[in-house]
Amino acid sequence: MQVKIGVFLCDCGESLKNIDFSRIREDLQRLEDIAFVDISHNLCLEEGEKAMTSRILVENINRVVIGACSPDLCEHIFTRLLEGLRLNPHLLSLANIREQCSWAHEGDVTGKALELIRMAISKARLLQPIEREVVPVSKQVLVVGGGFCGMRSALELSRLGIRTTIVESELTLGGKMEQFEGSYGIETSPQAILNLMSNTIEEDENIEVLTSAEITSVEGQAGNFPVKIRRGGEQVSQSFGAIIFATGHTTKTLPRDFEPELGRNAISQRKLVEMLQAPEELERRPGTIGFVLDVSDENSRLPILSTLNNALAVKERLGSEVYVFCKSLKVDSEGMEKLYREAREQGVVFLKFEEKPQISKEDGRLKVEARDLLLGEEVALLCDFLVAEEKVLPCEGTEALGSMLNMRTDSQGFYQDENVHLYPVASERKGMFFVGGCKGDLDFARTSMDISSATVSIYELLSSGKVIVEVEKVKVEPDKCQACLTCIRICPHSAIQLVRVDTEKEVAKIYDLACDGCGICAAICPAKAIRFEGYADEQILAEIEAIGESL
Amino acid sequence: MNRDDSKIVAFCCEHSAYQAANKAGRMRLHYPDNVRIIRVPCAGRVDVQHILKAFEKGAAGVLVMGCQEGACQHLTGNTRARERVKYTDSLLKEVGIDGSRVRMVNLGPDMGQQFVAEVKEMAEKIEGEMRR
Repeated sequence: MQVKIGVFLCDCGESLKNIDFSRIREDLQRLEDIAFVDISHNLCLEEGEKAMTSRILVENINRVVIGACSPDLCEHIFTRLLEGLRLNPHLLSLANIREQCSWAHEGDVTGKALELIRMAISKARLLQPIEREVVPVSKQVLVVGGGFCGMRSALELSRLGIRTTIVESELTLGGKMEQFEGSYGIETSPQAILNLMSNTIEEDENIEVLTSAEITSVEGQAGNFPVKIRRGGEQVSQSFGAIIFATGHTTKTLPRDFEPELGRNAISQRKLVEMLQAPEELERRPGTIGFVLDVSDENSRLPILSTLNNALAVKERLGSEVYVFCKSLKVDSEGMEKLYREAREQGVVFLKFEEKPQISKEDGRLKVEARDLLLGEEVALLCDFLVAEEKVLPCEGTEALGSMLNMRTDSQGFYQDENVHLYPVASERKGMFFVGGCKGDLDFARTSMDISSATVSIYELLSSGKVIVEVEKVKVEPDKCQACLTCIRICPHSAIQLVRVDTEKEVAKIYDLACDGCGICAAICPAKAIRFEGYADEQILAEIEAIGESL
Repeated sequence: MNRDDSKIVAFCCEHSAYQAANKAGRMRLHYPDNVRIIRVPCAGRVDVQHILKAFEKGAAGVLVMGCQEGACQHLTGNTRARERVKYTDSLLKEVGIDGSRVRMVNLGPDMGQQFVAEVKEMAEKIEGEMRR
C-alpha cells in the first residue's frame, strides 16, 4: 500500500513564537509521500479535532504525523480520534515540538522543530498497524493463604461479584491472626474478628475454601493461570484469571545475648499479653517493665505498634513503670504518632541509645545499662520484666514460592521490592498480586489499602470476562528464532514461553496479555528475531537517520 | 549530519527521562539545542546498534537515559542499558573514539534540572574537545 502521510502541526494557540511554522510547511511539502501539511492553533480542542477528522477523511491518508506538545498530554486524544475513523491508532507518530523544542531553547528553533518532525515522518513511513483481539479470561480468582488478608481479599472480591478459591495450608482459616493479640491494643480481639470473618465466608456462595491444600505449580499468564493444587493425596488442576498471594509473614522473638534466652524475666510480647489479660494471676505487681528495641532496623512497624499498645496497657492494668529502650522509633503508620504521644503522657519513658545496651542479672531481676543520647549520661535500670524485641520475617516457603513464580524478593526476602512504578499494587507479573505480610512489615492501614487496590485491579481485569489485547505488538519471528531461551530468561514479566511449532522445532512465543511492552527482549535477542512494532530496529534507526537532514 | 554541528542523541525512557525532559521544558530551563531526543519504552530497549548508528550518522555524543537504580518499571531495563552502554564505550575506544562519548544516565521523571545538567555537561565536553 502506498504510504500517504498527513502532517498536522499545532502552534498551541499561537504561543510557540520561536518556530516559523510556514517555513516548516514549505519544506515538508517538498518531501515524498506527504499529502498535506496543516497548521492548527488548537489540535487538542474539539474545533481542532473536527478539522483534523474531516481532513483525514477527505484526503484518505494512511499515516498521521503530529507536531505538537508532549505525547503524554495529547497522544490519547489522537489515538481515540483515529480509532473513531477506523484508522489503526498505531499509524500515528508524534513530534514533541513544544516541551522539548520551543520551550527548552532560546532564540529561533525552526531548524530543530523541522528536524524533529522529519524524524517522526521517517518513523511514520515504517509503521505497521497492530490489530486488536478480544481474549476470554477466567473470572475465578485464586487466593493463596487463608489468613486475615486472604479472607479479606476473598470477601471484597465476592462483594464485587467475583468468585474466589482460598487455598490454605493449615487445617483451618485464620493463619497467624492470634499473633496480633495485643498488637492493636489489648481490647481488640483477633479471635472475634476471625470468627466473624470465617462465618461470613462459610455462608458466602462466591467463596470456596480448600484447607490443608497447597499449590504445586502455576503456569500461563494473566486471565488464564492453570494452577495445580495438591490436597491430601490428590491433585487437582484449575484455571484462574488472577491470583492474590497473601502468604503472610512470621514474627520471631529476638533472643539477643541475655541468658537464659527467654526465661522468667525476659519475656516475649505474647507472654506479656497473657499477663495483661489475667493480671490477677500474677504473684505480685511488677514494679518496672522494660522494652528493648535495639536490634530492629528501619522496617519494623508491627513490633513498635505492639510495644506502644502494650506499654499503654501495662500502665492501665498493672500501673508499673515502663521504660522503652530504643534506637529510633518508627511512627510513620496511621495513628502511631498519636499513640506515641499518649504513651508519653501516660508516663512511659523512652530512652534513646546509640550503642547496644548491656543486660545482666542482678538480684533476680534484669539490669539494663545504656547511654542515653538525650541525657548524655549512663543509665542503669533494674527491671522485673524485660520484653524482648520481635522481628518481622518472611514466612517459611516464601523463597520457594518466589522462584516457582519467577518473582523477585527484596533484600529481606519479602516479595516485591519498593519499585516506584509498580509499588504498591502491581507486581512484575500481570494478574498476580501480593498483599499483607508477605510484602513486608506493613501496618493495618497499608494492608487494607493494598487489599482494596488489588481487588479493584482484579475487577478491572476480569469483570467483563474478556480483555482486549494488541495482537503481536512484540512478536518473535519463528523462522529466525533459534530457541536459545535468552528472552525467556530475561523477560521481567515472565511473558515469554517456549512453544512447539512442529515435531522438529520449538520457538519462543510472547503472550500479548502478559507483555508490558518494554522491549528488553527485542534488544537482547542474539538472532534479532523479536520485532517490537512501534519501536522496531528499523523504526528507531530511521529516526536516527533523519537527524541532521534539515533545510 | 555534518560533523561541525555536533549533535547529541539522547535515548529517553518514556517513564522517566522523557518526562524529565518535558519537565525541563515546562520550567523553561534552557539547554543546548543540538540535543535530539528519541523516545523509547524502556532504556533496556536501546541496543548497541542504535548507539553506533547515531555515531555513524555523525553524532558527537550519545546519552542513554533511564530510570533510577531500583526504580525501573521493567525491573532490569536500566541496569541492562548500563551494561550495553559500557560495552559500546569499549567498542568506541577500539575504533579510536575517546571514551565517555556515550553515557548512561539515571533520572527520575521530575528531575528536569538534572536532565539539563547532564545535557550541558555532555555538550561542554564535546565543545571542549572540538576546540582542541
